[in-house]
Amino acid sequence: MAVYVYSIVATSHPQNLNGLNGVGDPPSTLRTVPSEELTAVVSDAPEELRPKRRDLGAHQAVQEALMADGTVLPLQFGFTTTDDDSVREVLEERAEVYAERLEALEGCAEYHLKVSQAEEALLRQILLESDQARALNEQITSGTGGPEVPLALGELIAGEVQAREEQLVDRIVGELRGFAREERLSQATGDDFLSVSFLVEQDNEKSFLYAEQELAQELGEDFSFRLLGPLPPYSFV
Amino acid sequence: MTVVPQSGGAVAPGGGAGSGNLYEILDLILDRGLVIDVFVRVSLVGIELLKIDARIVVASVDTYLRFAEACNRLDLEAGRKAPSQLTDIVGEVTEGGSHGKAKGALSGAAEAVSDALKGDSDDEEHEEKQKEPAGRRERQARRPARRRKE
Repeated sequence: MAVYVYSIVATSHPQNLNGLNGVGDPPSTLRTVPSEELTAVVSDAPEELRPKRRDLGAHQAVQEALMADGTVLPLQFGFTTTDDDSVREVLEERAEVYAERLEALEGCAEYHLKVSQAEEALLRQILLESDQARALNEQITSGTGGPEVPLALGELIAGEVQAREEQLVDRIVGELRGFAREERLSQATGDDFLSVSFLVEQDNEKSFLYAEQELAQELGEDFSFRLLGPLPPYSFV
Repeated sequence: MTVVPQSGGAVAPGGGAGSGNLYEILDLILDRGLVIDVFVRVSLVGIELLKIDARIVVASVDTYLRFAEACNRLDLEAGRKAPSQLTDIVGEVTEGGSHGKAKGALSGAAEAVSDALKGDSDDEEHEEKQKEPAGRRERQARRPARRRKE
């Protein structure tokens, strides 16, 4: 039967899976596939897997539980293989690489930060500061501009928005970088202009959280900071 | 010192298994994490959508027109005249389907997946069958909620 793989931990990790469910409906039962040095947490793979709350939540809950007792290498959601033997084979063949990674991540957690800015405030700021944008905008609202003016204004604004957001990204990441061991940017989606993960050592957690709050206060209420963590180190495996 | 409300800024202790938080870390669970190349990734409806949407760029005519409109509206706060003038110039183009599309497109797939995440578990079976069309339909309908600050 196909096997769904959640995480890799050291065989010396307690691997307490009590009270946890695997993916699938009805929920699958979690078990471990041990090798000498490393152990994988797996379950039977359900016939159908969907990126829905139930299964994503199960995948995430396993990582969190393992993380509470030690270091974990969380797999990306959705990976399966043929059977336990093929899991064991991977653990043995790549023992060195994974053990090194586990060691590097010891005592660290991922913090994920997404930031958005109220668009109206940003546009107002651009209009106030750019004579050209203001002139184009007035042409449109007074009806004196040609049909090409909205595009010209839009292009100018888009450029300004991008430049300003890049500056903000540099500033925010720059101020938090000092408290993290590694960082990883991802493509921001939706209304966010920043989506970034930091790998933070336990000893630096308080300073990191404090710095993030300070920054959020400095930037003010036009900005929304959403910080998630401590998380399993998905971005740093 | 005044405390600026920091929406969601409170750190969720122990991580993000709550369904709201789960949505915020969707991209981590789906796109990050250890990849073992000899294993097989189950193909998942929704993941492809997320990836396609992430590639949509800011530099597009739709985005330009939307920004221009948003700027025009800003200046209108004092007197509310311009919508009619605007309509003459860009109204037909944008209402033809591109209004608000740039942002909608960027967040659309994430919303499609988040719909699945936010539903009650009781609805799960129902949602499962309707998932994709529902996600697309709600893209526009959900916009007012997303932009309620305006």
